[in-house]
Amino acid sequence: MADTLTSARTSTATDGPPPGTTPLFEAREVTKRYGAFIALDKMNFYIGPNEVVGLLGDNGAGKSTLVKMISGINPPTSGQLYAGGKPVAFNSRADSEAAGIETIYQDIALVDQLSITRNIFMGREITNRFGFMQHKKMQEVAIDILGSAVQISGIDDPGKEVGFLSGGQKQAVAIARAVHFKRNILLLDEPTSALSVRETEHLLAYVRDLKTEGTSSVLVTHNLYHAFMVCDRFVVMSHGAKVFEAAKTDTTIEEVTDHVIRT
Amino acid sequence: MAVSQSNHIRDAVVARGRRSLASKFADWVRTRPEGGIAVMFVITQTICVAAALMWPESFRYLSEANAAVTLKAIAPLGVMALGVGVLMIAGEYDLSVGALYSFLSIICAHWSNYLGGDIGEDGGIWWAPFAGLALVLILGALIGSFHAMITLRFAIPSFIATLGGMLLWKSATLFYHGAVALRFKPSEPFKTVFGGDIGFLHSSIIWFLVMSVVFYFLLQHHKLGNHFYAVGGNRNAAVAIGINPNRTKTIAFAIAGAMAAFSGVLAATRVGSIQPGGGLGMELQSIAACVIGGAALNGGRGSILGIVLGTALVYTIQDVLLLIRAPAYYFDGFVGVLIVIAVVLNTSIRKTRG
Repeated sequence: MADTLTSARTSTATDGPPPGTTPLFEAREVTKRYGAFIALDKMNFYIGPNEVVGLLGDNGAGKSTLVKMISGINPPTSGQLYAGGKPVAFNSRADSEAAGIETIYQDIALVDQLSITRNIFMGREITNRFGFMQHKKMQEVAIDILGSAVQISGIDDPGKEVGFLSGGQKQAVAIARAVHFKRNILLLDEPTSALSVRETEHLLAYVRDLKTEGTSSVLVTHNLYHAFMVCDRFVVMSHGAKVFEAAKTDTTIEEVTDHVIRT
Repeated sequence: MAVSQSNHIRDAVVARGRRSLASKFADWVRTRPEGGIAVMFVITQTICVAAALMWPESFRYLSEANAAVTLKAIAPLGVMALGVGVLMIAGEYDLSVGALYSFLSIICAHWSNYLGGDIGEDGGIWWAPFAGLALVLILGALIGSFHAMITLRFAIPSFIATLGGMLLWKSATLFYHGAVALRFKPSEPFKTVFGGDIGFLHSSIIWFLVMSVVFYFLLQHHKLGNHFYAVGGNRNAAVAIGINPNRTKTIAFAIAGAMAAFSGVLAATRVGSIQPGGGLGMELQSIAACVIGGAALNGGRGSILGIVLGTALVYTIQDVLLLIRAPAYYFDGFVGVLIVIAVVLNTSIRKTRG
C-alpha cells in the first residue's frame, strides 16, 4: 500500500515534496558552514510519511552533517526546518526528540563503562517522581528490546558493561535503543557497518516493516545493494549538495551507482 | 513484527541469579571497578588481624584505642574523596579541594565565632556554627560552579582551571585570616553532632558513612548519577542522546566544592583549631584514594565502595606504619607504591575478561 503511494507521487525527480502533501520533516535551503568550509550548501531534503529514503554519496558528501542536523545536535547556519509542516528550530537533541526523531549514529554513541540497560535508558531513565531510577522496570524493558528489533547474537545479560561487547553487538544495542524510542522518523547513519550478514538482513527487514507501522526511515549507506533492498526514494549528495533524486520505480541501480561514483 | 524473542535472555538472567555465591563473587571482582581493591583490602586486613593475634603486645592493631584513632582520621579525607570521585566519574578534576578545605573551614569558624558560637564559658549561641557550616557549604558549591564555568566556558582542562583555583584560594586564605591558627570550639549541639563519640565511633566517621550511602544512591539509583557516568565516559554519546554535559559537570564541580567545605569543618571540629595550610596535599591524596578504589583518570568509571575502600586502605597503611613505629616519611612511599599496584591490578583483571 505504502509503496504505491510513494511511487505515485515521486514519479519525477523534484526538489521538494510533491504538491499537496505534508512531509513528516523537511529542510529547505539549509546551509552549514564551519568557518570557511561549507559542509552543506542550500540543501533541500524531505521525509514523507510511510517511506524509506536512501541518502547516498561518497565520503565527505555531507550525509552525516545532514543527519546530525535532523537529529538536533548540529543546528544549520541558515535555512529552515519544518516538522509536520510547521517551522521548527532544532537546537538540541531534546528538540528533535520532541518531533519523534531517533538516530542510530555511525560512531554508535554508547558509553563503554555503563551496562546495556543503563545505556539504553541514558538520558531517558525510568524514574519515580524524585528522579530515582527504577532498575527492575528498566531491565524488563531492556530484555524486551534486546529480544526484538535486531536479534543480537551472544547477548544474554542486560547488566553487562557495553565495553565488553563486540563491535557488532554494540551497534545492535544502539539500534535496539533507537528502534525502541522512535515515533515518527528513524535515521540510520551507516547502521550495518559492524553487523553480520544475518543481523543486517534482520535490520533491513525491520526498517521495511516500520514503514507499514507508520515510521519513516532515512538510511545512510555506502552499500547500494542494501539501499535498493529497502528504499523507496534515493537522494545522492556530493560536496554538500543534492546531485540526484529519484523514486526507486524510476531508476536503476546502475543509474544511482553512476551518480554516486561520477559526482 | 516486533515479536519478543527475549525468553533466552530471561532464562539466562534467572540462571545467573541461581549461580553459586563464589562464581557471582568472581564475576563481581572481574567486572566492578572496586573488585580488585576489595580483594586487596580483605587480604590486607586479614594479614593485619593475623599479625595482631600473633603478637598482641607489640602490634596493637586490634586494640580499641587504635581502631578509634584510625576511624577518626579517615573521615575528612573520605568525605573530600567522595566529592572528588563524583567529579572524576564525570570526567573532570579538582585540584583546589585542599585549599578550599582550609579556606572554607576558616570562614566557617570565623563566622561561627563572630556570631557567638564559641562554646566559651557560657556555652555560646547554639545555631551560630550551623549557620557557619551552611554558609561554607553554599560557598563551596558556588566556588565549584565557578571552576566549572571557567573550565567549560573556555574549554580548558579542569586540571589547569583548578590548579589556578588551588593557588588563588590558598592566597585568599592568607588574605582573609593570615598565617596563624584559628580556634574553633563550637557550641552544643554542633560539637556533639559533628565531633562527639558514640562508643568508640567518632561522629565524623558516621557522617562519612552517611554521605557514602547518600552518594551511592545518587550514583547508582538517581538519573543524575547515570548522567555523570555518561558524560564522563563518552561525552559525545551523552550529547547525542540529549544529556546537557555542561549542566551535569557543573553539578559535579559544585558537589566537589561543597564536600571539601564539609570535610574541612569536620576536621576543624575534631581538632578544635584550624591551621591555614592544613589542607595542602589533600587534593592529591583524595585523587589517590579514588584511583586506588578503581576510578579511571579519564572519567566514566569509579564507585562509592571503591572510594571508601581506597580511603580506608590508605589509612590502614598509615596506621600499620605508626604501630610498627616506622618513620613518618615512609607513608608517602607506601601510598605511591599502592597507587601503582592498584591500577596495574585493576587493568590486568579487566583484560582477563574478553
